[in-house]
Amino acid sequence: MTIRQTFLAKTALRSALLVSCLALAAPAFAQDTTLNVAQRQDPQNLDPIDTFRLSWGSIGSNVFDGLVFRGEDLELQPGLATGWEFLDDETRIRFTLREGVEFHNGEPFNAEAVKYTFDRLLGDEGAKGPQRSNYTSIREVVVVDPYTVDFMMERPDPVLISKLAGYGAMIVPPKYIQEVGEEAFDMKPVGTGPFQVSEYTPTVGVKLEKFDNYWNGEAKVDAVNIRFIPEDATRIAELLSGGVDISLNIPTPSVETVKQNANVDLVAVDGPTVDLTRFNTASGITADPRVRKAITMAVDRNTIVKALLGGLASPISSAQGAKSFGNDPALEAYAYDPEAAKALLAEAGVAPGTEITLDMPNNDETFREVAQVIAAFLGQVGLNVNIRTHERGVYFNDIIENGKTGEMYYYGWGGWTFDFDNTAYILYHTGERFNPYVSDAKLDELLDAQRQTYDRDVREAALQAVARYAHEQALDLPLYNKATIYGVSKNVEGFDPAPDDRARYMNVTLK
Amino acid sequence: MPVFRFILQRVFQAVLVTLAVTLFVAFTVRLTGDPAVMLTAESSSVTEDDLVRIREALGLNQPFYAQYFDFIKSLVTFDLGNSFFRGSIRDLMAIALPSTLLLAVASMGISILISIPLGIHAALHKGGISDQIIRVLSLVGLSFPNFWLGIMFVLLLSIAFPILPASGFETWTALILPALTIGIILTATNVRLVRTQMLETLSQQYVMVARAKGLNERSVIYKHALRNAAIAIVTFLGLQFGNLIGGLVVVELVFNWPGMGTLSIEAIAQRDYPLLQATVSILAIMIVAVNLAVDLVYGLIDPRIRVA
Repeated sequence: MTIRQTFLAKTALRSALLVSCLALAAPAFAQDTTLNVAQRQDPQNLDPIDTFRLSWGSIGSNVFDGLVFRGEDLELQPGLATGWEFLDDETRIRFTLREGVEFHNGEPFNAEAVKYTFDRLLGDEGAKGPQRSNYTSIREVVVVDPYTVDFMMERPDPVLISKLAGYGAMIVPPKYIQEVGEEAFDMKPVGTGPFQVSEYTPTVGVKLEKFDNYWNGEAKVDAVNIRFIPEDATRIAELLSGGVDISLNIPTPSVETVKQNANVDLVAVDGPTVDLTRFNTASGITADPRVRKAITMAVDRNTIVKALLGGLASPISSAQGAKSFGNDPALEAYAYDPEAAKALLAEAGVAPGTEITLDMPNNDETFREVAQVIAAFLGQVGLNVNIRTHERGVYFNDIIENGKTGEMYYYGWGGWTFDFDNTAYILYHTGERFNPYVSDAKLDELLDAQRQTYDRDVREAALQAVARYAHEQALDLPLYNKATIYGVSKNVEGFDPAPDDRARYMNVTLK
Repeated sequence: MPVFRFILQRVFQAVLVTLAVTLFVAFTVRLTGDPAVMLTAESSSVTEDDLVRIREALGLNQPFYAQYFDFIKSLVTFDLGNSFFRGSIRDLMAIALPSTLLLAVASMGISILISIPLGIHAALHKGGISDQIIRVLSLVGLSFPNFWLGIMFVLLLSIAFPILPASGFETWTALILPALTIGIILTATNVRLVRTQMLETLSQQYVMVARAKGLNERSVIYKHALRNAAIAIVTFLGLQFGNLIGGLVVVELVFNWPGMGTLSIEAIAQRDYPLLQATVSILAIMIVAVNLAVDLVYGLIDPRIRVA
C-alpha cells in the first residue's frame, strides 16, 4: 500500500483521468512506470511494409530493428548486422549478422529471418503496400550461413544502407507471421526492439511494454502508452494538463503557448521537411527564367521564418535542409531585392498588375499564412496573386500530377533518409509523377549518374550540381526547412529529439 | 396485422434508402482520387508498375459493379470486409459504433434532463423573469459553435482547474466534457421546443376542461399537457438524434473521441473505399432505424396512432 500511496502522491498534479487510470491499475502494477505520449496520427497498420507514415516511425523505431541503425545524430551504425562489405564490383553486399538476438516471441534472429523479411517485402505481400518500391534495387537476399547474408543487387542503390535503417526494411519474425497470419501481424507485430506491442487499438492508441531480452541495453520505463490525438488543440491541452509527458507534432501556432507553460519544455531540431513553391516552367509568364528569378528576389524568406514560423525553421537555398546529404553550404539564395525584381519583370515584359495564381492544399494552416505573405510581397512588385486551395488528395493526384496548376504551386517534401536524391529526383527528373513541368537533359543526366555509384564524394558533387542548376534556372522558390518540434514535460529526462520524428523512448526516465 | 405490415413497409424503405446511399457513395468516391496514389504519395521511387501492382492487390482493377457487389455482399453477411489500409472493418466498427452511440445517447440524455423541466417551467411562467432568463440563455446557447464551447470547457476544466481529462475515452470521466458540450448545444434548441409545445397544449380546450374538472395542477400538466406535447417533441428528438449521429464529427475531433465521424473523415482523406462505404452505410441504416423507432414510439404515446 505504501508504494501505491507515494506513487499517487507523485502524480497528484496530473489529471483526474490519469490518476484514476493508474489507481485502477495500481494493485497489479504498483511499481511500474508508464510514459504517456501523444502523437497526431494513427499509423493504422503496424506492419513495417504497409506504411510510409511518420506516425509509424515513432512507434516502429521502438519495436523493430533494421540491419543498420541510425539514431538521432543521423550517423549510420551497425544494427542487427555487425558489419557489411561491397563485393563483386558492388553488385553484392555481404552483411554479417549479430548473434544472440531474439524476437519478442522468443524466436531467434538469424539469416533466415533476414531472407524472409526481404522475400516478403519484395513479394506479393509487399506489393499491397507502399514500401516495396523503395527496395526494388535488391534482386534477392541469399543466405550464406546462419549469420551471413548476401544482398544481390538488381542495380546500384547508393541510398540503400540508409534505407535499411528504417520502415520497410525492419526485420520481422518468419515463424510468428506464419503462425498468426498477416492480418494479426498488422495489429500486433513482433520485432527485436526494446519495447513490444502489448495492445493496439485503432484510432485510440498503442501500448508498449519493455522487452526484457533486448540485445542492446534495457528500456528505463516499463511501459509506453502512445495515444493518437489528431486535433492540435486537444493534443496541446493534454500536454499542458499533464495528461501526456511527451507530445510529438507541435504545430507552429501553438509554439508560444507551449513555451510559456512552466511545466513543459519546447524541444526543436531541424527536420527533413522543406516547403517551397514551384513554378510552371512550361507555360505562362513563369516559363521565362527572368520572371521566376524576379519572384524569388521579391519574397523575403527571413521575414516569413521570423514572423510566421516563430523562428522554428531555417531559410534554404535549394529544396533541402542543412542536414541533407547533397546540401551545399556555399550556395546562397537570391537576396531579397524588390527593386531588382521589378527591373527584371519589366525586362521580361510583364506589366504591373499582371494576375498569377498560387495553388496549395487546403489543410495546411501554416502555409496558408505563408502564401498570403508571399502574395503581399509579390503585390509590391506588381504581381497580383490569387491563392487557390484544393482538397489534399485532389491537389496531389490531379492538380499537380496532371499539370493543372497556376504559375506557382506549393510543394512540401522531405524523406526520412535525409538524402537529396529523394527530393531532387521527384522534383527535377523528367516524367516523375509529381513533376509535371521540368524536363531538362542536364538534370536527368546528373540525377541518373548519382544513382549509379556508391561513391559518396561523386554523389555529393552531382547532387550539389543539381541544386546549383535549379538555383541558376530558378526552377522553384525554396522557402524554408521546418523544425521537428516536441513538447516535453519537465518530469521527463533523457529524451533525445529525433529529427525525423522517429522518436525512441528506451532512454527516457520519469522524475 | 397492420403493425407488421407497417414495420415491413418501413424496413423495405430502409433497404432502398441504404442501397441508394451506398451506390451513390461508392460511385462518387471513385471519381475523387486513386487510393494507390494516396498510399504512395510520400514515397519517392514509385513507378507506374508499382501503382498497377497496388491497384491489383486492392482489387481496384475489377469493374465497378463487381466491386460494389462485393461490398453489398460483405454488408449483408455482416462481415464488412477489410479496409484498404487498416485491416478488418468489423474490428474498427466495434470501437467506433459503440463510442458514437454512447456519446450521442449521453448528450441526448443530458439535454432531455435539462430541457424538459426548464421548458415546462418557462411555459408555466410565460413572460415572467425566469422565462426571460431561460429564453436569453437558450439564445446564447444557440449562438455557440460546438467546437468553441468544447475548447472552452477543456481550457477551464482540464487546464486551469485540472478536474476532468481533456480527451480520450478510457475512463467514464472522459465522457463528461464531450457529452456536456453537445448536451448544452442541444438543450438550447430543445428548451424552446418544449416551451412552445407546452404553451400550445396548455391553451387547448381539453386542458381547460381538465382544470375545470378540478384536477390538480400536477396531473393537468404532466398527464394531459405533457403527454400531448410529447408527440411533437419525440418527433423532433428522433430527427435530432439522427442528425446527431452524423454530426458528431467536430466534437469527436476536439475530444479525440474514437467514433464514426472520425473514422469516416479518415476514410475520405485516404480514399479508403471499403471503409468509407461501410461507415456511411451504417450511419444511413442507423438514421433510418431511428426514424422507424420514432414511428413506433408514437403508438406508445398516442393510442389513436396505433389504430391508424
